[in-house]
Amino acid sequence: MKKFLKIATVVTAAALIFAACGGSDEDSAPDTTMAGATDTTMAGETSDVFTFTNFTPFEGGTVVKCAPADGSALKAAWIYVGPINDGGWTQTHNAGREYVQEILGDKVITTYKENVPEGPQVEIVIDDLVKDGNTVIFGTSFGFQDAFLASAAKYPDVCFEFATGYTQKNNMSQFYGASEDTKYLSGIAAGAEAPEGSEIGVVAPFAIPEVIRGLNGFVLGVQKVNPTATVKVVWTNTWFDPAIERKAAESLISAGVKAIASFQDSPATGEAAKVKGIGWVGYDSDQSEAFNDIWLTASTYDWGPYELAKIEAAIEGKWISGDYYGNLSDNFISIANYGAKVTQETKDLIASERERLTANPAAQFTGPITAQDGTVKIAEGAIPSYGELMSMDYQIKGITTDLPQK
Amino acid sequence: MQSPLRLERRLTQPKWLNWGVPLLSLLGALILGGIVLLATGKNPFSVYARIIERGFASTDAFSRTLISATPFAFTGLAASVAFRMGLINIGGEGQLYLGAIGAAFAGIAFQDQPTAVIIATMIIFGMLFGGAWAAIVGILKAKFSTNEIITSLMLNYVAAIFLDYLIFNSNSYWRDPKSYGFPTGKRLVENAYWYDISIGPIAIPFGFVVAVFVAVIVWFLYSRTRFGYEVGVIASSPSAARYAGIRARWKIITVMALSGALAGLGGASDVGDFRHVLDAKGVQISGYGYTGIVVAALARLNPLSAIFVAVFIGGLSNAGYALQGPDFPSGLVGTLQGLILFTAVAGEILTRYRIKRQNTIADGAIV
Repeated sequence: MKKFLKIATVVTAAALIFAACGGSDEDSAPDTTMAGATDTTMAGETSDVFTFTNFTPFEGGTVVKCAPADGSALKAAWIYVGPINDGGWTQTHNAGREYVQEILGDKVITTYKENVPEGPQVEIVIDDLVKDGNTVIFGTSFGFQDAFLASAAKYPDVCFEFATGYTQKNNMSQFYGASEDTKYLSGIAAGAEAPEGSEIGVVAPFAIPEVIRGLNGFVLGVQKVNPTATVKVVWTNTWFDPAIERKAAESLISAGVKAIASFQDSPATGEAAKVKGIGWVGYDSDQSEAFNDIWLTASTYDWGPYELAKIEAAIEGKWISGDYYGNLSDNFISIANYGAKVTQETKDLIASERERLTANPAAQFTGPITAQDGTVKIAEGAIPSYGELMSMDYQIKGITTDLPQK
Repeated sequence: MQSPLRLERRLTQPKWLNWGVPLLSLLGALILGGIVLLATGKNPFSVYARIIERGFASTDAFSRTLISATPFAFTGLAASVAFRMGLINIGGEGQLYLGAIGAAFAGIAFQDQPTAVIIATMIIFGMLFGGAWAAIVGILKAKFSTNEIITSLMLNYVAAIFLDYLIFNSNSYWRDPKSYGFPTGKRLVENAYWYDISIGPIAIPFGFVVAVFVAVIVWFLYSRTRFGYEVGVIASSPSAARYAGIRARWKIITVMALSGALAGLGGASDVGDFRHVLDAKGVQISGYGYTGIVVAALARLNPLSAIFVAVFIGGLSNAGYALQGPDFPSGLVGTLQGLILFTAVAGEILTRYRIKRQNTIADGAIV
């Protein structure tokens, strides 16, 4: 429900902004006065407020000044739930941090805290970071959200950036992206790898809309090249737990799947697949070298550019909270290098599909899309709206396993 | 070749050992840690200063340390009461989950009651659930002589799966039906939040106060009552206990249930003091139950010491996060923490044994 409200507010905010801008083109930016809904005229070319492709400021938001007043280097911190060498999620987030540090040099001092357990420890860590002078803080695990909200209320002059959540606050942004599009592309590689009509396995973390829409995107990719293939899912109820991920993968492999994908933070599924030489679609990171003989490809994220832009905005005093949903057009999402198993024909198909989705995100969901129970969820010819994507809570036809209890 | 040194059991334990050995152990840890830090190019003094500052020295740092210490205090007490009778209860982790489940149930079911009633029922249900879960281990051991190490450990996994089931895979009483997207538990009403008790600038979580109170009760129970005396007899000599007519089976079940109830109280505090929701994933990542075993060992199974050790480990853990960063890998933090805990446990041996020089003639003869 909260998610729905969020979408509603984002959409209204966007509508208001565009209405106020009077049909402006995509380059024109809303400025503070507009977000404040006053009737002053629009600013000129240079905006006083952060703007970025695929970023929508929250309605009624105001600029938060979170750079040190004395002009010294801005301190920014990242809090991770896993280790920085997890070979996936946390590792790519840390790559984003290193990118920011490298580009901005001595204008910023970045730090990170890894292996922080969800719960009271998160607020303790944030207290420490603020005490150390950090004024921009990134959170990268869904389970940190309550602690981030509480801390954002406690420290109104600190800018918080939260990945993959849904709550909004004047000093707390949400950022994520359309991995359902790149999972679709990786699904093509899996569908091409598996024999026609065979089973493909997926090791998935939680049955939440974010993951389900990615799964559906993946399955549509499989069906693009292998219409009779079916997909079997094991839900692990964890983002990162190599032992559980590996067990889930082994159970799928012993059930006879001919290709396997994982949407988890570790490469454990790849390790299980390697034993049997089964093609593997990874997630989050490029493992094409370590697993080349079984590697197909993966959906990947590039967190750095958005994080860099937000920190630059903070330094310039333009930081504002909002919702960032990156896609192929701004290269927030991408797919990893191909492994040896992927044929040229498949690569060509993926390339052309990539072009299609770059121009039209979510085009793979063009209707008719039928749910597992046979009901048509997206009508013939329609493309789901952002709101429909965000609330996708059904598995499409072709997936043979049920969702966990909803 | 034989070592020139050997350990000999002390017949008497001089009083100074009780404070001297821990202090010397700590000093040893600091020296060893200092060598590691120097080898990795760090200044040991500034690192230690930061540990003290961020773990203990300022009032707000100390308040945060108490937050981290609270669950360790409960699981440490839970392990201590069982170990005192020679019952190796490794199941504090699962018993804490069950306590959280019980307390969350009470917190939701009695949410319209006054705060005092809600907190009281949360404590009772937390203890009942944790105690009942541990009693399974006690009954199995008392009736069938099963090994409690294995059964209590295995039940941790069962408890974890049960917890996942309640939140992720069922429409249970605990799950919030409105939690759209990510499955979460029902949040407690604010009226059910356990409050902090402030002593000057230091905020003490209510659960920590309860832990101190419980520690005193346990200390009294074990050192001043017939119950405690009998537990001691069973621990040191089961056959003597049998001759004396002590019913060991009942003691096993009672002590296991008591141990589980204390861990369960930790779960209640986790819900009431900190998370205000049954957080199936968060509580599992935290691993409070296993840390409790370390706490008990360092406290030499003394319930009052367990409180101090819990605060020490809580501060050490918070300081560890404060140290971490790009130029201070978490592995080095773990090494430092590990060294401190290792020397503390190793030093404990010296309170019970002393080092004696071997007879050099015998030594030469063997070679």
